[in-house]
Amino acid sequence: MSYRPGVCTFCGTGCGHYLKVDGTSVQGVFPSRVHPVSKGRLCVRGWNIHELLGTQERIIKPYIKDSGQANYQDAIAKLVSALSSYKPEEIAFYASPRSSNEDNFALMKLARLVFKTNNISLQAESGHRNSLDVLYNGTGFAGMLGSLEDIRKAEVLIVAGMDITTQNPIIGSELHYASRSGSLLITIDSRMTKIAKLSKKFINIKPGTMRIVFDAIGHYIDKQQWGDTKSAHYEEYKKYLATVPFDSIEKETGVLPAEIAFVAERLVKAKSAAVFFTSGISGLSYDTVASIYNLFVLAGKIGKEGCGVNPIVGINNLQGSFDMGCAPDLLTGFQSIDDATAKKNFEKKWGHELPQFKGKTVEQLLADSSSPLKALVIVDHDDGIVKYADRLQSLPFVAYIGAFTNKVADVAHVVLPITTYIETDGTFTNAERRVQLSLKKCDNTFDVLPMWKLCDTIAQAAGKAFNYQGASEVMDEIASLTPSYESISYKLLSKKHGVQWPCTKKNHDGTKYCVPEKVSFVLPQKPYAAVQATQEYPYLLMLGKSQHYWHQNNIMHKTFIPLREYNATLLLYPDGYMAIAPEDAKKIGVRDRWPVKVVAEKASMKAMVMISDDVAPGTAYVPYFIREGIASFLLAYSDIVSQGEEATIPVRIEKV
Amino acid sequence: MYLIKKNDVKKIAKALEEKYTLYGPYVDEAFGQCFFDKVSADNVDLNAPIPTNPPKHVVFPHLETIMQYKYDKNAKKVDIAMVFDDTPKVLFGLRSCDLTGLQCIDRFFLGQEFVDEVYRHHRSRMFIVANTCVVPFKQCFCVCTDSGPAAQEGYDVNLTNLGDSYLIEVGSEKGKAFIESFGFAKATEEQLKQKQKLIEKSITMFEDIATESKAWASRVMNRVTTGFIKEEVWEYIGNQCIECGACSYVCPSCTCFNINDANTIAGNTERVRTWDSCSYEGYSRMAGGHNPRKPIEDRRNKRFLCKLSYSQSKKYLRPGCVGCGRCAWVCPGEIGLPNVVTYIRREIHE
Ligand code: SF4
Ligand code: SF4
Ligand code: SF4
Repeated sequence: MSYRPGVCTFCGTGCGHYLKVDGTSVQGVFPSRVHPVSKGRLCVRGWNIHELLGTQERIIKPYIKDSGQANYQDAIAKLVSALSSYKPEEIAFYASPRSSNEDNFALMKLARLVFKTNNISLQAESGHRNSLDVLYNGTGFAGMLGSLEDIRKAEVLIVAGMDITTQNPIIGSELHYASRSGSLLITIDSRMTKIAKLSKKFINIKPGTMRIVFDAIGHYIDKQQWGDTKSAHYEEYKKYLATVPFDSIEKETGVLPAEIAFVAERLVKAKSAAVFFTSGISGLSYDTVASIYNLFVLAGKIGKEGCGVNPIVGINNLQGSFDMGCAPDLLTGFQSIDDATAKKNFEKKWGHELPQFKGKTVEQLLADSSSPLKALVIVDHDDGIVKYADRLQSLPFVAYIGAFTNKVADVAHVVLPITTYIETDGTFTNAERRVQLSLKKCDNTFDVLPMWKLCDTIAQAAGKAFNYQGASEVMDEIASLTPSYESISYKLLSKKHGVQWPCTKKNHDGTKYCVPEKVSFVLPQKPYAAVQATQEYPYLLMLGKSQHYWHQNNIMHKTFIPLREYNATLLLYPDGYMAIAPEDAKKIGVRDRWPVKVVAEKASMKAMVMISDDVAPGTAYVPYFIREGIASFLLAYSDIVSQGEEATIPVRIEKV
Repeated sequence: MYLIKKNDVKKIAKALEEKYTLYGPYVDEAFGQCFFDKVSADNVDLNAPIPTNPPKHVVFPHLETIMQYKYDKNAKKVDIAMVFDDTPKVLFGLRSCDLTGLQCIDRFFLGQEFVDEVYRHHRSRMFIVANTCVVPFKQCFCVCTDSGPAAQEGYDVNLTNLGDSYLIEVGSEKGKAFIESFGFAKATEEQLKQKQKLIEKSITMFEDIATESKAWASRVMNRVTTGFIKEEVWEYIGNQCIECGACSYVCPSCTCFNINDANTIAGNTERVRTWDSCSYEGYSRMAGGHNPRKPIEDRRNKRFLCKLSYSQSKKYLRPGCVGCGRCAWVCPGEIGLPNVVTYIRREIHE
């Protein structure tokens, strides 16, 4: 009887599984058949998660750079004295979107209460904040508006530029299932992804034009006077639509007006519709998310069963980590740090004032060479690439907290080990706001502390102990400070496959889909501008990030099967590849795996050709492999790369 | 042949538990999912539905250390030790499809030119108690693959629930000696007939109960073997595969594995064997980068060729599919084997 129920913690789908556990080790995994989202399915990562949990590549002892292996007491003393010697503005905390809610809450509390800093942010978060901001500004609800569990209830499903069967395979599966049972599945993308192949309608758009395509659909609905004009800011939205060049939509985006009309009509006529887009590792811009969201407001697809504007996070607890206030300007539950009532609640509960100064994200601090950053605490960094490595190396103090060995730990002055998620209790909040409890299944043999406990121990050493007896007490504190988590407790969550927040005293069962008190259109921040190919640079180069995120993922490197699978392409194309259409390959005069030179205005790089039917003529696709040549090319375009999924660069391709 | 009271089943389990590690079906108390795993005689539940996991992991674990070695730098010497597990195990309450799956695995690991020693040790001191399915389950189709609902061979003891009592049949000398020691009452020919009737009834119940999957495999086997299946059909199937590996992992007869070496904190190196799947891109990739089965539809058809072609069947002495229906449960595409058979048959009939 060694199968113990739990949650897969690789991605934001949050599939239910059973781990086969024997005392101190995990020997296998099996899907849960009754989990409301995954219903008996797991992806290649989930099916092999025991390989990671059983890895011996663990950090097992605290470590101090000057003196070698240490005990917790000394390492913590070193950490506390180092951090205490800097001003709060000079300290920052780099939280992990993999940590449990309890762990991240404890870290946030450590940063704000003990070390008085608002400099706390998440790794790999960029895109999701855009999505949350748009949804919050429009509905007051900072999370997926719909529900994964409701996918089968939607008549129309739209996937917007997301390789969902790679990033969140089981959500892809659910979409496929819905489509086969009668829903209309539409994919709008610049590449023929698997979900595009499984869709009833694939709309192939020019790279970087997602925003205008969604605006065009909105424009069409508005023109036909089919739309909901009662929501706030409708007039401004209408005015904005007038600035978008619809007359040249085909030239601009490659989409026929008839296709726009088709989507518009089906969307409006359907009783329910939901849209899915990537959010997180590389998401969409604020304005593109706003376009998608506004279309759904106009089409009357907010606040009804089966409806939803659904950002899909790649990493398991990215949503929960925002919920826990791991951002410079946020307290828990997306409460602004400037919100006087929220602030007062925290100060009352914690018995101390919250820091006053405006915090910055760690990325901002690292990127800006003149920032005051001196000391950085990093938790479970799982990016294979260490961004801003030079700055990191030159910081006077770096601490690393993590369960697994990691390149970043090598630069740390103090290393503190923690347990893996199955060696302690914790909750994780998946992409659809489902807070799921994962109970301890295994003792760790190395006597390392869970992170919530470690944070408490550090706080204690600094004279401000949290006094948590268990992770469930951390959750009780979260609930007391977070309106959307108000009723969540371990008791409520036990023997359940989670509840979706808001979960309040009035609503113990949680919330499947959001019914906002007030719906507003969200106005874009920047005018629309598409990147155009020119005679000199005739190809539009797309940068694939999320699809290949798992390649560079440090955690992945501690497994056998997933590692092999995610590296399979890399083995065929060791230096990365650039995918082009067969007709373009002919034009350029190259064959598969031939080298080419890719020239853009500001930089050039070498790449190996992959001939693929999945990319359209006139476009090229480079996965975001971290290989020297590509990295320096991307550096020259870092402003564009930061646009995430929509990053597009016009290039010329030369045979070498 | 003996007839025992229902309570005596526990007695048998308890007696076995003394000499063997007991594996059998039990129901998870949190969410009611049924597993086949290590269990105490008190918790083993013969009335539980077909376990969601096949018993394969008992003899062929998901992840298993098969060898350890340590290199002594100073002495320039390597210590190598194979790791075997030959604890005596009893598989209690095995359903016929799963027993058939075990026999397929036996033929792969033991019945070919090469005998897998790791597997042989797992299997060497094993006692098998089968359990007749007097009622099928929703996703069952063993009647199409000739592997149930009652076991024909391969067990030491077979149990059949006759309603208020159990009929015991013995299938081996070992089983006979064990059961004789209890001094149970002998069963009559009448009761054997009653069992036959129950099996016939069970088979007729498939029509109404086992509605989730049907896989009338014989025509399809012919097609698969002769290769007369249109590429579009394989493409249609291949497009739905997200390469999760689940179908291989839950299949009672799949045997693909992968070997890796991993360093331990103690300073040893362990050679581990893990489950693998032909659906994975990395599985069929060869050294040097050439992948003979690159497109996903080719990898997909590989699995169904393996399950349904004559050449493979010669190896297993039967089709590779045992009709348990688990792959249909776990497939994120909709291409569990029964569906694939349907797609191919649809093409035949069109
Ligand atoms: S889809 Fe995500 S949560 Fe589900 S099994 Fe795969 S990695 Fe785990
Ligand atoms: S497939 Fe046949 S043998 Fe297996 S559980 Fe179902 S009825 Fe029993
Ligand atoms: S279970 Fe389905 S999706 Fe997964 S590998 Fe098998 S056929 Fe492919």
